[in-house]
Amino acid sequence: MKERVLVAMSGGVDSSVAAALLVEQGYDVVGATMKLFCHGDDVPDRPCCSLDSVNDARRVCETLGVPHYVINLESRFGHDVVDDFVSEYARGRTPIPCVRCNTFTKFRDLVKKADSIDARWIATGHYARVANGELLRGADDNKDQTYFLWGIDRSVLSRMLLPVGDSTKAETRALARKLGLSVVSEKPESQEICFVPDGDYMKILRQRLSPDAPALSPGPIVTSDGQYIAEHGGFARYTIGQRRGVPGGFRIPMYVVGIRPEDRAVVIGPREELLGSGVIAREVNWLSDSPTVGSQVQVRVRHRARLAAGELIRNEAGEIEIALDEPVSAITPGQSIVLYDGQRVLGGGIIESAARPIRSALPILAA
Amino acid sequence: MLVKPPPIYLDHAATTPVREEVFEAMRPFFGPRFGNPSSTHRWGREARAALDEARERVARCLGARPDEVCFTSGGTEADNLAILGAWRAVKDAGRNAIVTTPIEHKAILGAVHQAAAEGAEERFLDVDSKGLVVSDSFDKLVDDAVAVCSVMWVNNEVGTIQSIPEFSDRAKAKGAVMHTDAVQAFGKVEIDAASQTFDLLSISGHKIGAPKGIGALFIRRGTHLQPLMHGGSQDRGRRPGTENVAMAVGLATAAELTMAEHEFEGKRLQAMRDRLEAAIMARIPDAVIHGRGAPRAPHILNVSVPGTDSESLLMALDLKGIAASGGSACQSGSISPSHVLLAMGVRPDLASGAIRMSLGSLTTDESIDRVAEVFPALVEKARELANAS
Repeated sequence: MKERVLVAMSGGVDSSVAAALLVEQGYDVVGATMKLFCHGDDVPDRPCCSLDSVNDARRVCETLGVPHYVINLESRFGHDVVDDFVSEYARGRTPIPCVRCNTFTKFRDLVKKADSIDARWIATGHYARVANGELLRGADDNKDQTYFLWGIDRSVLSRMLLPVGDSTKAETRALARKLGLSVVSEKPESQEICFVPDGDYMKILRQRLSPDAPALSPGPIVTSDGQYIAEHGGFARYTIGQRRGVPGGFRIPMYVVGIRPEDRAVVIGPREELLGSGVIAREVNWLSDSPTVGSQVQVRVRHRARLAAGELIRNEAGEIEIALDEPVSAITPGQSIVLYDGQRVLGGGIIESAARPIRSALPILAA
Repeated sequence: MLVKPPPIYLDHAATTPVREEVFEAMRPFFGPRFGNPSSTHRWGREARAALDEARERVARCLGARPDEVCFTSGGTEADNLAILGAWRAVKDAGRNAIVTTPIEHKAILGAVHQAAAEGAEERFLDVDSKGLVVSDSFDKLVDDAVAVCSVMWVNNEVGTIQSIPEFSDRAKAKGAVMHTDAVQAFGKVEIDAASQTFDLLSISGHKIGAPKGIGALFIRRGTHLQPLMHGGSQDRGRRPGTENVAMAVGLATAAELTMAEHEFEGKRLQAMRDRLEAAIMARIPDAVIHGRGAPRAPHILNVSVPGTDSESLLMALDLKGIAASGGSACQSGSISPSHVLLAMGVRPDLASGAIRMSLGSLTTDESIDRVAEVFPALVEKARELANAS
């Protein structure tokens, strides 16, 4: 039997197939489902912490004939992921909790659990690949999840197994059917944030922030030249590039182009005002040797956004600045920027701000 | 190729294997003796005879009379029937309080909370750091407003033994109904309904070599109980529903076998438990044995090691083939710190590291030797990892 591997199993099709493939390859597979949050009485048909996913993961492990454990990381996840999620929205930013979960929960706290059971390897169902100590994009360009993986500690790469990274989602489903994993093979894709019931993130914010928190309080909707348009019900409801909740009556479509927590303002403007010519990012993490200033890179500033070409023009003290060859739309503080060299993930960071292109004033006000 | 040593089961307080004799005794009732004990024909009579006999045998094991034994689906039902049944029977007669301890099994705590939701007054006795009920608090809380007082005889997590005969006398003097959860106590302490004064006592089959799904509540003659379920007149209406004859026979057989060997087995388990405890303390001097210094049942060893968490240790033990348990597992299977240890004043970080090893029929000297070797080794490794990060 090959070495032991701890497989993080969510009860979904990807991690289930990952576990099954590793069993086929002869690994000593141990399945684990992380218990990360408890809805309490909020979600009546899920009385104990998304029990369904735990049950599904356990059923898969029973089918595979491998042990399954539930690992309680609730308090650490609450601190590292949920608290940050709330405070980012409170600051007018749009966080990606999955990035922090990968960085701190899956590939740090869970790795410690792997150590405690002498597991040489840690595996997940991510669509990404690892080769020669480097993180590579998943073979399925539509499913590639490296956008969420840039923050993990580089030293973990040498212990990671990503068995579905070579497959397309369709192939993974087909494999699940072939392997008899009927518990999960037809499960719909989940796009929701796992700890947000029914996709209503405002509910979490209302629970965690005080009722008079600025992010939840009324404020002005203004244009970028300062014109007052209307009131909004809390800037936490808005993200850059959003159209929903933006008042109508303009000649051209208007978008949220900025959030100013200091005066609670939501700034709107036409599509052109969403464009950014550069990105400043912090909390930078490298999964390769740190590239030198002047390097040409490709970047992604949003999950599934097209790769954009640019140049690294600053790289110091955990902060980088990228000058983009062509302007990119809706560069959003709190989201991630990930740097690529072809298939290779170089690293990434949390977007702090976009550099605005120099542009001529455009008529924006409608009749 | 390396031969893996056989797995070691150290979780007898969770459940025990069904004894061969028990299985054999039950077999006819899954075959030719399938009758309904309420039927008047020969099949019914055969089933009735077996049920009556089982009731007598369980009664003998408890020092009770046969009509004082009510078969249930297990310990949880027996506890619920005791608490809710006794309280509902007298709550309108000026006795609305229920006295219990914070270290009870969830079957008691859940039933008491249900009664409270229906209007009962909950009163919790103090326990000390060894898990013993503080005598003064018993006198303070048990007064003539108390409907029922429930104190577990042997704690399922740490094994401490309460002075049930004495508490029973004191509760009776105040006119309260006295219940004890004896699920872990049966076969481990002297239980005699004839000389002791408790009114209600719960036992469970699967802790003593009978299958899961059978238990019994001793109900002293003259104790008023409202049934939990309503239906036919089986078991005097206390527990309607066609009786589970096979399981009742299984419980009776297991109870008799347990009683027959309890002296010998108690000494055997205690010697092994004490040896394991000493070995652990020798290798890990700062390990904390919960309930140490109190009278303790011979089969339970509950230990915390500072700087370790039970979740990781239990996984590591399991992957080495050693089955133990932690605090109470929630429905999802994850482990939260034990309410018993927290009530005993154990620090939360220590409580989160608690490992319960419980010995029983499957435990041998060889298995104890191996655990005495493996457990400290895993602890040392866990601590190295904790220090490294």
